[in-house]
Amino acid sequence: MKKFLAVLMAAMMMFTMIGTAGATSLAGTYDITVWVAENAVELTKTQIENFNQTNELGIVFNATVEAVSEADAATQMITDVEAGGDLFCFAQDQFARLVQAGALAKLGVKAAETVSAANTAGVVAAATAGDTLYAYPLTADNGYFMYYDKTVVKEESLDSLEAIIADCEAAQKYFAFEMQTSAWYLASFFFATGCVSDWTMDAEGKNFESVHDTFNSPEGLIAVKGMKKLVDSPFHLSSSSGSEFASGAAVVVTGTWDYTNVQGILGDNMGVTDLPSFEVDGQQYHLGSFNGCKLMGVKPQVDAVKAAALHQLAQYLTGEQCQLERFEELAWGPSNLNAQASDAVQANPGLVALNAQAPYSTPQGQIHGSWWDIAKVIGDDVKAATDEAGLQAALDNYYDKIAALFKLDNNALLFVGAWNGWNNADEADTYYFKDGSLTLDVPESDYMGGRIVNPGKWDSDKGFAQVVSGTELVKDLGVEANPDNNIVFAEAGNYTVTINGTEITIVKN
Amino acid sequence: MSEKNVTAPMKRHMGLRTSRAIGNSLIYALLICISIIWLVPFVCIVLQSFRVELKGPVGYVIPKQWGFDNYVALFQTDFPRWYTNTFISALVTAMLQTIIVLCMSYTLSRFRFKMRKPLMRFMLILGMFPGMLTMIILYRVLKDLGMTQANAVPGLILVYIASSGMGYYVSKGFFDTIPKSLDEAARVDGATRFQVLKKIILPLSKPIVIYTILTAFMGPWGDYVFAQYISFGTSSGMNVAVGMYRWLNKDQIANSYTMFCAGGVLVAIPVTVLFLCLQKYYVEGVTGGAVKG
Amino acid sequence: MKTYTDLEYLKLSKGQKLLYKISRFFCSIPQKIIGLFAALWNLIKKGCSLVKNEAVDIWSTFVNGDWKTKVSFLVMGFGNLARGQILRGLLFLLFEVVFIGYMILSGGYWLSMLPTLGTKGPEEVYDFVLDAYYTVYNDNSFKILLYGVLTIFFIIAFIYTWRVNVRQNKLAEQILAKGKKLKSGKDDLRSLVDDQFHKTLMALPLTGILIFTVMPIVFMILVAFTNYDGAHDGYYSNLFGWVGLDNFNTMLNWNVNSGGSVQSYAATFGEVLSWTLMWAFFATFTNYFLGMFVAMAINKKGINLKKLWRTVLVMTIAIPQFISLLYVSKMFAKNGIINGFLMNMGWIDQALPFWEDPTWARITVIITNIWIGIPYLMLITTGILMNIPADLYESARIDGANPWQQYTKITLPYMLFVTGPYLLTSFTGNMNNFNVIYLLTGGAPTNPAASSAAGTVGYTDLLITWLFKITQGAESQYYLASVVGILVFVVVALISLIVYNVLPSIKNEEDFQ
Repeated sequence: MKKFLAVLMAAMMMFTMIGTAGATSLAGTYDITVWVAENAVELTKTQIENFNQTNELGIVFNATVEAVSEADAATQMITDVEAGGDLFCFAQDQFARLVQAGALAKLGVKAAETVSAANTAGVVAAATAGDTLYAYPLTADNGYFMYYDKTVVKEESLDSLEAIIADCEAAQKYFAFEMQTSAWYLASFFFATGCVSDWTMDAEGKNFESVHDTFNSPEGLIAVKGMKKLVDSPFHLSSSSGSEFASGAAVVVTGTWDYTNVQGILGDNMGVTDLPSFEVDGQQYHLGSFNGCKLMGVKPQVDAVKAAALHQLAQYLTGEQCQLERFEELAWGPSNLNAQASDAVQANPGLVALNAQAPYSTPQGQIHGSWWDIAKVIGDDVKAATDEAGLQAALDNYYDKIAALFKLDNNALLFVGAWNGWNNADEADTYYFKDGSLTLDVPESDYMGGRIVNPGKWDSDKGFAQVVSGTELVKDLGVEANPDNNIVFAEAGNYTVTINGTEITIVKN
Repeated sequence: MSEKNVTAPMKRHMGLRTSRAIGNSLIYALLICISIIWLVPFVCIVLQSFRVELKGPVGYVIPKQWGFDNYVALFQTDFPRWYTNTFISALVTAMLQTIIVLCMSYTLSRFRFKMRKPLMRFMLILGMFPGMLTMIILYRVLKDLGMTQANAVPGLILVYIASSGMGYYVSKGFFDTIPKSLDEAARVDGATRFQVLKKIILPLSKPIVIYTILTAFMGPWGDYVFAQYISFGTSSGMNVAVGMYRWLNKDQIANSYTMFCAGGVLVAIPVTVLFLCLQKYYVEGVTGGAVKG
Repeated sequence: MKTYTDLEYLKLSKGQKLLYKISRFFCSIPQKIIGLFAALWNLIKKGCSLVKNEAVDIWSTFVNGDWKTKVSFLVMGFGNLARGQILRGLLFLLFEVVFIGYMILSGGYWLSMLPTLGTKGPEEVYDFVLDAYYTVYNDNSFKILLYGVLTIFFIIAFIYTWRVNVRQNKLAEQILAKGKKLKSGKDDLRSLVDDQFHKTLMALPLTGILIFTVMPIVFMILVAFTNYDGAHDGYYSNLFGWVGLDNFNTMLNWNVNSGGSVQSYAATFGEVLSWTLMWAFFATFTNYFLGMFVAMAINKKGINLKKLWRTVLVMTIAIPQFISLLYVSKMFAKNGIINGFLMNMGWIDQALPFWEDPTWARITVIITNIWIGIPYLMLITTGILMNIPADLYESARIDGANPWQQYTKITLPYMLFVTGPYLLTSFTGNMNNFNVIYLLTGGAPTNPAASSAAGTVGYTDLLITWLFKITQGAESQYYLASVVGILVFVVVALISLIVYNVLPSIKNEEDFQ
């Protein structure tokens, strides 16, 4: 009966809504605040003015454009959503926080379709939480590459990290690569060796359910060995500011936004190229990078009409024309497919360098907000380490903190897939997840076993033999079970593991 | 008079003199060193503000090209607005805060009433809570009063002065040094408490009044964290610290670092001038009060 | 622990006396704690008897009072009005009307919501026609907590006023019974600038403190018992609610994070606290002694240009810290001008790690703090030094004391005696010295073990900057920050208590008058 009433209520509400909203058109004047980066203020004012004159819906925005940097916008919005800008720009790493804080309005169905079709798949994924699109892609150039001083770094050194460090040390010039204060840059070394940290959100996009993280692995150890070479150099500088060229740097790893700045300092001596490779145990690893974007969000509105009008504006401001204008005036790399295809964009030297780095870059998906804080200390940890054990300890520390993130939730679980070799933790694939489901690829191997345990009860020395809990979770799929295993897969393939309280169901896809 | 008799005291005298001379020249050397160390950052900031060739931070001190470009550029930004905001809030805060602090400290120094000791103890305890967190609450209260963002200046002033009664220590210490017999004599002559304050205490309190004004005036110029909350991304409500701090953002610093330095020079001027003129009173006020709180 | 008699005590040397006093203090701590409980118990007993007395008094006022008094129990100020004290009566009445109006219009609502902090969060609604989502906002936990606290304050004020109103009726009856005249409104106004002048003077400052300091602190303490954070901001994302002592458990339990190498918050708190104390100690005393030294150097006989030297130093006070400290922080950078200068001179061949190495960074912030602090201390001590009677030095010199002896026997004891309270406030002030650390290092270099999901913790982070970082971290855990805030308070209060008991000069303020 209750359910029926609820359905009835919902239906009635829908009708009243259609009744009231149906009559309204979007025409009208709206007072809004727009937050953009300082250098884009004037351009944005012009663009909004253009929108006012060209839109066919009769919308007029009376906009106050404020300079709020992409870095500050998210923090400000989270402090007080109501006082925040109706439209605001932010870097992708803030996306998850903003969704959790209720600071982003969902896109309507049509807007979502248009945006998905017009932009690259990577940036659309960046603006999506769960199944829902929450923001408009603004740029697609949020990646980094290498600027260098041609008088210091030799042409033949460019491919080797070690050679570049040697060149810098010889000239007593600095190699700036932000290793100590930024997870965004530091991840470069891990991506080089094939490590991943993939996070999955729930369908609502409000919580992170699971993570597949391989930073703590033999590959991760190789990565920190490479990193150690860099941070141990007396001429390494933990910075990503192009201005460092004016204070004794010969190499700076930063992005397109620093292009004009560096050119102003170095002039013809400026060189740009993809990141170099480093060598560990005779093998070369090309440094990877994050490939992210900047987004524009719409603040949730209490008035549906104003919300719809704002979404129209956001769509316009992030559309092809405005992106091209921004590219021309500010050199912001477009995310719009058509804009990307234009000749001018194709020829831009900064973007060329970014494209050279592209094969080695990893699209920046949705990452837990705390990950940035957890991962960024690896740099300092590596610098302080004196031997391989110290490097391994840095990784263990990182790994335990990721585990602790989930441990705080009682319903979090840990899946250890041990198909690469038994009793060898480093080769296991580990996934953390909460109530919900997890998709696994189980490769063909001798041991297609794994286990699900509560991380809180799982001792951190990865003592596989110490697992005592989990017997009630045994889901024997047919192969004789290892006593420490509570899941053994009968055949290789793709599985969905679903946990609902204590019940586990495993289905092969 | 044999020579011997004379030289002994002379020698001692000479010895004293030379040792004092050595001591003094050592002190001069030290003071010169200190002055250099203390001045280097300011000289550097001033020099940077005249640099024209590059607008970002650089590794050298002396500009290659000199000019007033940065000062000119300052006036094309919202800087004049921020400067006015700060100046107004500093001025009003200085006046109101001085009145409040003097009321409070005079009362606690001169009156003996039942709740006096508990009140002082209570305020001492209140001062031990870190104020950092209460800012978010104050922000919300001010927002409900409509005193944030574009109207940040009255909101800032309100918060600066609201709790200033707790900073009574120094001036109470000063009032304590004024003999009570003066008040009592006047009271015997039939003056009210108010008249005592106006006619007798205030004229004697010039140093502490000036000290209080000076410290109250200086506060708003450097306030960043709270002012940032209150202005909340609205340029027209910012003070100099919040507005200029944004120029140091990663994406902005390459274009506005020298402008930041130029702004810094302009911000430093009023406070420095005031301080230099009123230094004498500051010393008198602070020694009269600070040490006896 | 040996207890000395007075005579034995007097024979001890100065240092021994101090040691004796300190050890006595620590020995007496258990006793004091017992004493504290006894005092608390007495306070409760006293409170109970006070309430009882008040109740008896109110009852007897009601029973024995005339009809005017009886009506005043319901209608405040009625007695005053009926007896001709119009001003007082009207004020009482106005207060009652405002109070009742407020309680009906909004106070009642806030109070009723306080136990749950709201039940209905925001809802996102899809508008089919406009193809847009909009949000319906409902309860606001933040406002409920804020205005709930305000309402409680208001109720307390009302009860107090009501009690005053009752007492005034009783007094008025007594005065009239003796055949004397009641005070008129004019008398009341006059007394406000005379007998009651302190009330006039303090009304405004105390109201300000109540609303802008006490209320926020109460709020902050209450936040420690909720789950208020970025994802539960009480209105826009999710409501927040009461969680009891969970947050204290998270912060104080040594085992809470203890999976492997992850440090518990309690351990982190311990680390940050120990550095905070170390910092406060060095920051206070280096400034104190060096400042005194500089002041003495400038004041020395035969040194010219005194004003110039002072002016140079005072410049640091006059220039806002967000400008000067940011610049100093850049100067010490790996590629800053100091390293550049040293390398150009050929004194070093690689940059000194001023901000990179934990120990270096700690020393550098202390040294930079000297740069900031000496001018203040120079100004303060200049005046005090001039107050030391010159004949003390004169007689010392005649006795053949050298400058060092003069310093240790005259200057230092005098200074320590006079500036004892200042030292304490500057110690606690340094513990909460947000600006210097935040602008200079921002806490860097990071302490990887101590950093956690609640934010990065650095080797130069003080409790106060850590607290700030927690609120700015990925999850904006205000509840955790507020627990840290409470703990900071406890630490500061404890230190003050100890120092108060050891330093004799603070206790007796009347000594100075």
